[in-house]
Amino acid sequence: MKDTNKAVGSPINRIDGIAKVTGKAPYSMDHTVTNPAYALLVKSTIAAGTIQDIDSAAAEKAPGVLAIITHKNAPKLNVKGGLRGGALLQSPEIEFFGQNIGIVVAETFEQARYASRLINVTYEKKEPKVDFDLVADQARMPKDKDKADAKRGDVQAALRQATHKVEEVYETPIEHHHPMEPHAAIAEWNGDKVTLYSSAQIVNGAQSAAAATLNLKPEQVRIVSPYIGGGFGSKGGQWANLALAAVAARQVNRPVKLALTRQQMVNSVGLRQHNRQKVSLAATADGKLTALAHEITTHCAINDEFVEPCGDCSKIMYDSPNSLITYRVVPMNLIVPTYTRGPGKSTGSFALESAMDELAYTLKMDPIEFRIKNEPARDPSNGKPWSSRTTVQCLREGAKAFGWEKRKPEPRQNAQGNYWIGYGVSAGTYPAHQRPTSALVKLNRTGNEVKATIELAAADLGTGTYTILTQTAADALGLAVQNVHVKIGDSDLPPAAGAVGSVGAASYANAVNDACEKITQELLTKSGKQFFVRPTAAQLMLSEKLTDYQTRVDSKPPEQAEEYSAHSFNANFAEVAVNKSTGMVRVNRFLAVTGAGKILNPKTARSQIIGGNVWGIGMALTEESVVDPRWGNFVTRSLGDYHVPANLDIGHLDAIFINEHDEHVNTLGIKGIGEVGIVGVAAAIANAVFNATGKRVRELPITPDKVL
Amino acid sequence: MRPFTYTRANDATSAIKLLTENPNARFLAGGTNLLDLMKEDVERPNTLIDISDLGLAEVKSIANGVNKGGVSMGGLGKNTDAANHPLIRQHYPLLTQAILAGASGQLRNMATNGGNLLQRTRCPYFYEVSMPCNKRAPGTGCGAREGINRMHAIFGWSDQCVAVYPSDMAVALAALDAVVHVRNAAGQERQIPIADFHRLPGNQPEKDTNLVHGELITAIELPPNRLADKSYYLKVRDRASYAFALVSVAAALETEGAMIKQARIAMGGVAHKPWRALKAEQLLVGKEATEANFNQAAEAVMADAKPLAHNAFKVELGKRSIVLALQTAMNGGKL
Repeated sequence: MKDTNKAVGSPINRIDGIAKVTGKAPYSMDHTVTNPAYALLVKSTIAAGTIQDIDSAAAEKAPGVLAIITHKNAPKLNVKGGLRGGALLQSPEIEFFGQNIGIVVAETFEQARYASRLINVTYEKKEPKVDFDLVADQARMPKDKDKADAKRGDVQAALRQATHKVEEVYETPIEHHHPMEPHAAIAEWNGDKVTLYSSAQIVNGAQSAAAATLNLKPEQVRIVSPYIGGGFGSKGGQWANLALAAVAARQVNRPVKLALTRQQMVNSVGLRQHNRQKVSLAATADGKLTALAHEITTHCAINDEFVEPCGDCSKIMYDSPNSLITYRVVPMNLIVPTYTRGPGKSTGSFALESAMDELAYTLKMDPIEFRIKNEPARDPSNGKPWSSRTTVQCLREGAKAFGWEKRKPEPRQNAQGNYWIGYGVSAGTYPAHQRPTSALVKLNRTGNEVKATIELAAADLGTGTYTILTQTAADALGLAVQNVHVKIGDSDLPPAAGAVGSVGAASYANAVNDACEKITQELLTKSGKQFFVRPTAAQLMLSEKLTDYQTRVDSKPPEQAEEYSAHSFNANFAEVAVNKSTGMVRVNRFLAVTGAGKILNPKTARSQIIGGNVWGIGMALTEESVVDPRWGNFVTRSLGDYHVPANLDIGHLDAIFINEHDEHVNTLGIKGIGEVGIVGVAAAIANAVFNATGKRVRELPITPDKVL
Repeated sequence: MRPFTYTRANDATSAIKLLTENPNARFLAGGTNLLDLMKEDVERPNTLIDISDLGLAEVKSIANGVNKGGVSMGGLGKNTDAANHPLIRQHYPLLTQAILAGASGQLRNMATNGGNLLQRTRCPYFYEVSMPCNKRAPGTGCGAREGINRMHAIFGWSDQCVAVYPSDMAVALAALDAVVHVRNAAGQERQIPIADFHRLPGNQPEKDTNLVHGELITAIELPPNRLADKSYYLKVRDRASYAFALVSVAAALETEGAMIKQARIAMGGVAHKPWRALKAEQLLVGKEATEANFNQAAEAVMADAKPLAHNAFKVELGKRSIVLALQTAMNGGKL
């Protein structure tokens, strides 16, 4: 028992760390079921057209094969059930290369894979739309109302009158999430109920989408997802493989394990779309912005629209009297794009923060001072006051910690041997929200020891949900962390928000805190006593000699939160070394300074931020999914071809948190850190490459050929 | 993966015999490439003959013959062991650098020297069986010729195939004039100079090498040389490790005073085989080791380049890389 040392804010080790490194934490395919069969998805080898016939006679006779399911014999599923991307074997139409066209179920995975190669598919091909350059001019206004043109003032007039301006196009390629754990599900039926062991960033979302797709009621579907081997947005919305595992299991009347191969990941679970972003900035000679326009062109699926919000940073980061943000989207024969870490903000900030650097250079201003000069007092997009904003603090403290004063304003002034050294900076942001979440607190006393169990259908992406909820509950109940047990990742538990969009920590921790407050209050009332110093729930369990007590809360964000514009903010500092001969770029040092309200655990928080930084370095330097412009297949199908950064690509990383108390955003003052760690990273590196070499690369990734 | 028979060979003679009798059999050593290709249905052997137990792993000095004073590496030695062997580190640091520039620590621990020579292109059209590829399925066309070919060849390609050979080790071996020793079912030994081991694609891109089915790589011999003090393997790639070369250069020099007595230049990532630049080497002999002369040699190498739609950058990058590799070699292999 303890009540003086606060657990929240301590850098304790992650609660699930030992289980993970000893292999005791079950990921999707690790759960034990009796006598499972194995399923493999069969994929289309064209990007557009119609299946004329699927000949599976030979495959059906192959050793171990239990069932082959195609659109010809698949059960009727609800294609509008909420699983993303379609591809549920409901029709012979092909809309992208690698679309699911069948399932082979066999006694072993190897047998399923062998049989899949014996299936002969004949197609009626159509000319696919798979070359973005060829179709970009057909882009239209998105259907999503959030993506309507947002105009303030007259950008064109301001640009015409400006003495200093930048008008450039920035390109970011298709990226894939590629979590270490590819998407997988075990489906086990029990009568008319199905249990799906499958990692899900939104447990209740997976439940409702799977149920609706399978024409079941939500209570007939249970999602079990105690651990997630990475998701980065690809396990936010769920995909066809989840329902198809259930279909296969029902068909063979056995539990079925269905895992995607790494190669199948490129066309099964979404992607980050290619964005073509034109940014136009104008400023007075002394560096006050007069125009900020951000015009985005991208692609979506043939029958499904998703547009990542690349203009979001441009909406709020800087004060400009004239502003324009537009989106245009063209359907293509590619899988539907989806949320990908820092959706819109990571890619959008590359364009905005590169352009800011270009204009600062034109103005001969320090890029930090240029940003601070244009700091908005209120949210420029809606006039609301900030719940709190730390951009200036992040830039100032970061500059000091990083040694920004050593930067040469002009390129090619800092050489070390065969390398040009450059410094770059950027600023970034991500919105802070709390979402409705329920939580159950159970207290149990044995002798003088009180223990708590916290239950909610939350998700832990590996980021620390178990740990921060343990810390939150320990403090709120007056218990030591080892006497708190957190159960999450199961749709049988009280419904919770997802670990998406940086809402997890705020939603879960506030709900757990509310539940602990409520149980303490109930125990106080139950005691009928009055206290000078309010006792903890743990103390009340002892003083009232209770053995078991529990309560549940349905938590919602505070109503007044809507009166404020609430966001996490950051500043990024990069030092790069560019090989003068070969153009290879290495990030020597990277510093992220983040203002994200209350930091529940500095250790897991730091890991979140530097993890985002690493992906940002990948976005800047190495990651790109390449489509064959004739056939629509990805030629980068493995982690040998799709280059996530290797250890050697990552220099020294450092993360600083601004000590920030935000009393408006939510009860505990939590803003969220899952996304903001990647926002601005690519721009800081691109800006550093310019500072090193004088070469402005506006098309990611910055591979050696673009620097030469 | 298609069903196959797995056999573990006890001795080289029976292993070679088993392979010779079955055109659809393959030797299995480290398996780092073959098993991937089988999972992807690119390679479809009906029999795997595991040769892990045959020995043939030793690195040793050569006591007799034309390469006396050189070093021999067993065909079944692991890449890691070859790279780190004192004889290799001392006499052929170029080879150590090249091996360590390839793959990852885990892969090098499994991969063998002979297997490294036989690894197949990483062209994505070769790997994806629904795509045309003359190397995988002769007569189906080349997916990369008019497709995505940023990683592909700028030398020696044909309309049938524009793939590049992926090994780093072999680029150093080419610069070092290595000799590949093979044995066949009749017990005959054959010595293949590294320059003749791999082929250009021509009209038979399905054939990567001049090895005859049934031959086993027993050893790779490195002739003695005076290049150890001035050599360097430069690999330019899209990420700092575990990526194939955009361009790589194995450079080695022997100098006398200011004069270059002997030069070796071989390139990787540019052709269907390690690309030895003999003409450029000749240009350097008898000249001073200056940047201007290195530039001239690099220009000479690249004069023959025929880039494809997406890889013209390899011409300029190749030039710069040759110059940098030669300069670094002159500097004792230190950047």
